[in-house]
Amino acid sequence: MDIICNGLGFQYSKKTEFAKYALKDVSLTIKSGEFFGIIGHTGSGKSTFIRHLNALCEVQEGSLSVGEIDLSPEKKKGKKKKEYKKRLKDLRKSVGMVFQYPEQQLFAETVFEDVAFGYKNFNEKPSAEEVEAAVKGALSLVGLDYNLVKDKSPFDLSGGQKRRVAIAGVLVAKPSILVLDEPCAGLDPAGKTELWALLHHLHKTTVETIIVVSHDMNDVAKHCTRVAMFSDGTLKRVATPSELFDDTILIEESGLEVPVTAFIKNELLKNGLEIKTDYTDDNFVEQIVNLYKSRQV
Amino acid sequence: MLSDVAFGQYYPVSSPVHRLDPRTKIVILIAYIVMIFLIKNFVGFVLAGAFLLATIIIAKVPIGSVIKSVKAILFIIIITFIINLFLHKEEGAKVLFDVWLLNKITDKSIKYALFMALRLSFLVFGSSLLTLTTTPVSLTDGIESLLTPLKWIRFPVHELALIMSIALRFIPTLMEETDRIISAQKARGADFETGNFLKKAKALLPVLIPLVISAFRRAEELGDAMDARCYNGSKNRTKYKKLTFKFRDFISVFITAAVFTAVIFANIYLGGIV
Repeated sequence: MDIICNGLGFQYSKKTEFAKYALKDVSLTIKSGEFFGIIGHTGSGKSTFIRHLNALCEVQEGSLSVGEIDLSPEKKKGKKKKEYKKRLKDLRKSVGMVFQYPEQQLFAETVFEDVAFGYKNFNEKPSAEEVEAAVKGALSLVGLDYNLVKDKSPFDLSGGQKRRVAIAGVLVAKPSILVLDEPCAGLDPAGKTELWALLHHLHKTTVETIIVVSHDMNDVAKHCTRVAMFSDGTLKRVATPSELFDDTILIEESGLEVPVTAFIKNELLKNGLEIKTDYTDDNFVEQIVNLYKSRQV
Repeated sequence: MLSDVAFGQYYPVSSPVHRLDPRTKIVILIAYIVMIFLIKNFVGFVLAGAFLLATIIIAKVPIGSVIKSVKAILFIIIITFIINLFLHKEEGAKVLFDVWLLNKITDKSIKYALFMALRLSFLVFGSSLLTLTTTPVSLTDGIESLLTPLKWIRFPVHELALIMSIALRFIPTLMEETDRIISAQKARGADFETGNFLKKAKALLPVLIPLVISAFRRAEELGDAMDARCYNGSKNRTKYKKLTFKFRDFISVFITAAVFTAVIFANIYLGGIV
């Protein structure tokens, strides 16, 4: 399922004195199978953009389609309202959305009930076995022991476990696109590493496309295949991380920090040592070692 | 978004009404409310309406935002109107329609019902004008100051004012939070729109529980933060913004008193409902 948007624009508090463009003229295509990063400082419009992918913001200007589902404004007028609602459900089923601090959306008495919530919403009258199988599958995807946690209250779990349960609650609908807003916020380094491993595992197995909003350029450089940079509601650039981080000035102008690898590369360059790298840790180390070896000879 | 709902939200412009002492504004509002319930004839409403309109114009507040405030209680106003229309009884009232059920409606009851509806709308207009022109902080400061006499009977006035300002302060935060949780549950396929009343109420559970939990968490964090700063509301606490009466406060009180007197005179000389 490809995501295609053209000239997308959005204003909060439209037609009031507080109206302000949160998104302006954004044209972007995210292909199926990508591990896509979205970066930008606070208030740059990235959250508004991802809200559109789940029709939590209605399209005001321009067009947007997710796979077969067209979300453009003229498609929902008049009698088509019911049909539009049906389309919304289909959309939300295939686009899973993990918000920032997703553990704050947990509500049910048991982990089982909470994870099953999404499945029951998206499927017409599922049988008990179907629900159980789906919950089991989702919990094992996020690396939790079904028998151990299913009857626990989600509020008795640790922070990292809560987040896994919340993500399982989204995965249970078997989305083909997964959107995550700052999934690592508030996690310790070990939790972060585990979460990225989980995302890569999902990407290889059940989820076609992963879209991650992140503030951490190191993560973006390391994991994403392509990156979109937002600034003041506009799309500044779409490129691979290695292309993007070559442009240090653009990154810093937008109030972001370059990844550590890019920082070291630039410092080396100032001292007359040029290396080429795609900014992932492994590649960077390799390049340095190669350089060292070539000088030794 | 939920935060689009603006009920009497502070309207930030600079005007003489905005600059008035909050205590003056509260006292004027109380006098105004007493006045609209004393009014006995249409002349009184014209006077009160002119007073209201003049204040709106001086306050540079868009008239639409004042009128919109009545939406919130429109239902109550309609119910009051209908009840009074059918149940108001008065000596010498003429029955207008000689039809079953409608024969309860008299010329007097129509006027009475209309008056009640007018009073309620005027009440809301006036109160929303207060919140539109006064920041929540200065409003609670004003209330605290006005309630000072209650301190003599050991009523915790400062604490009450603090609770009020914290509550007001957290309305937007909780709105944002609600919005976020609603989005998250919608993304998980929650449906808040279809079904009967009971079903809709039940659908709100996945929103209310996380919201209450986070409200408790916030309360605890705020309490800790206040403790960490050794907050103590009691004696000898000085204020950052001291309230002082200015010349304009006396002027506005004087104008209000004049309108009030005019209404009383209208009542006396023109009598009851005309």
